[in-house]
Amino acid sequence: MADRILKKDNLGKLVASVNGNGGRFIAPVLDARQVVFKDVTKAEEIVTEYILARNSYKEYVFPQTEVVADFTVEKHGVDLKSREVEARETVVFGARPCEAASLSSLRAIFTWDYIDEFYTKREDSLVVVTVACTKADDACFCTTVDLSPESRAGSDLYLLETESGDYMVEAITDKGRAFVEKYKGAFTEGSGKAKTLVMPEKIGTIDLEKVSARLKDKNHYDDQVWARLTRKCIGCGACTFVCPTCHCFDITDEGTQFAGERRKNWDACQFDTFTLHASGHNPRHYQHQRWRNRFMCKFNYYPEKFASKGCVGCGRCIRVCPVRLDITEVMEEFSR
Amino acid sequence: MEEILRKKAKELLESGEVKVVIGYGWNRQRTKTTPVFITDAADADRLVWNPLCVNNLSVYLTRKFKDIQAMGKPAIVAKGCDIKNIVVLITEAQFKREDVCIIGMTCEGVVYRQELWKGELKPEIMPTKCHNCDVRNPHLADFVVGEKSSFTPPETPAGMVFDKIKALDSRGQADKWSFWINEFSRCIKCYACRQVCSLCYCERCITEKNMPQWIETSAHPRGNLSWNLTRAMHLVGRCTFCGECERACPVNIPLNLVNQKMIQVVKDAFDFRSGYDEKTHPPMIVFSPDDKDDFIK
Ligand code: SF4
Ligand code: SF4
Ligand code: SF4
Ligand code: SF4
Ligand code: SF4
Repeated sequence: MADRILKKDNLGKLVASVNGNGGRFIAPVLDARQVVFKDVTKAEEIVTEYILARNSYKEYVFPQTEVVADFTVEKHGVDLKSREVEARETVVFGARPCEAASLSSLRAIFTWDYIDEFYTKREDSLVVVTVACTKADDACFCTTVDLSPESRAGSDLYLLETESGDYMVEAITDKGRAFVEKYKGAFTEGSGKAKTLVMPEKIGTIDLEKVSARLKDKNHYDDQVWARLTRKCIGCGACTFVCPTCHCFDITDEGTQFAGERRKNWDACQFDTFTLHASGHNPRHYQHQRWRNRFMCKFNYYPEKFASKGCVGCGRCIRVCPVRLDITEVMEEFSR
Repeated sequence: MEEILRKKAKELLESGEVKVVIGYGWNRQRTKTTPVFITDAADADRLVWNPLCVNNLSVYLTRKFKDIQAMGKPAIVAKGCDIKNIVVLITEAQFKREDVCIIGMTCEGVVYRQELWKGELKPEIMPTKCHNCDVRNPHLADFVVGEKSSFTPPETPAGMVFDKIKALDSRGQADKWSFWINEFSRCIKCYACRQVCSLCYCERCITEKNMPQWIETSAHPRGNLSWNLTRAMHLVGRCTFCGECERACPVNIPLNLVNQKMIQVVKDAFDFRSGYDEKTHPPMIVFSPDDKDDFIK
């Protein structure tokens, strides 16, 4: 049930208030012929006709590159000073229900054996405003992983577009309710007629239980099927970088001999150097073994360790893949 | 064409002449093509041929793919423009001509990106390379499949890439700099441009050499600039303008502009175009006493 209406004419007010409060307003905009999540200052920049933004909004809680510490090399040794995270209120407007569900997956890993404050502080101040999908494409498969345009998980506010371009607002979490209260000037009483939601067809040949069960069976680890289905993978990081649940990073130092910064940069299990040992040995020597890892991570390790999903079915990895390697084809194979 | 292609593939596999046929097949929904590796003659019917066959499959011939190399002699389904990369690989001693069986496809063009396909190949969805193509009839192949193309490319190359280069060339230094800094600022360091390129076959890329770290791995302006310049420089005189890097780039960096500009520079300086003759070595790997040196000032 809608609690409030966000009139399209009030969206500008909301953007301005959030920015005016020192916060960030992230929304899908057109950049280099693509729809991308970016900071916006004016409602006019926001695109409404899109399936999913090219990038996942994870970069606002887990930046592609960030300085975590500064160091100087002194006579007595190295002085390392950790940076403090400055988390500002960050609103992501126009997330889709599938990717909204990904935040709990990121949280699970970043609070698993160590609380990574660079992540948690940012996530604590993130407000996810989901707009439910009225369009999908041949890569969307949320319904196959038990999500759908109607899923509320992970959203603070869940919005339905109306025929007249306004939004019916449903507050899902306390954070969402507090947000509506804080910016009540932008949210009004009223109603509207919601546009019909799209419902991607569930891929009938995929059975998630079977996928997990088969992956648990260690005999499948060296199955020829990996090579057969994924030898075409060229080992770029594209799929992992656009994926809302991929979370691997690398720590690297930049600077001079005497001083510099320590950075946390996105890394990808698809890169051959990801597991390369100093000895020169690489336990994942072939690309299909690296691809296996990505699949195992999502459909075996995650379900085994955490309550959250390893894959939310957003289809980004399929769309971006230069060789059109389709994760659902592998899911299908492991459903047999 | 598809039928002849499949028949050829079947013959090659049945006779044992090749162990794998690298070609194109359909995805699950039959909406996009994707590379396939046919090892069993009975599977040859999975091969397809249409304007969605954008990938330059020659990347799979390189030493980046040890598992594919281990399968035995390959046959590869290749368009004229893909064959150019095979030619460069031969001139750079990556393998010998006889190590690969080239099934050359005559071609009337492909789409710039598969997503643009609406059931018909219109000029506006074709990349610049196709509008200027002089290899629609494959120039190096063991077999050619398809009717001879009668297309003749325009005398002066034309199309979006050339127009944009002209426009950029007319801008001032500072202007050009800010154009590229802005474009490269979007780079996410996914290295799809490198991985998809059959001429980026180094097993250890300079970006991966970290003692010292020559190229910063961070996707900040400095790191992005050094990566993109390095990639460009390492392809001077080699890049064939196949366009794979630009197609693969998830953030739409116009890499074709960089590549085509380098091609023009090499053409002017050395009167050389890569990818046409497997017996001529590219200018950057040979030395001749009468090489131009007027750039040393
Ligand atoms: S694996 Fe692919 S479909 Fe699944 S969440 Fe990641 S990008 Fe989306
Ligand atoms: S699956 Fe595709 S996008 Fe992912 S690493 Fe392989 S080639 Fe790149
Ligand atoms: S460049 Fe030539 S051979 Fe290559 S796809 Fe275009 S028309 Fe075909
Ligand atoms: S166009 Fe790009 S992918 Fe093709 S050869 Fe040149 S650099 Fe490599
Ligand atoms: S493909 Fe594009 S984003 Fe990826 S590393 Fe190359 S230039 Fe950067």
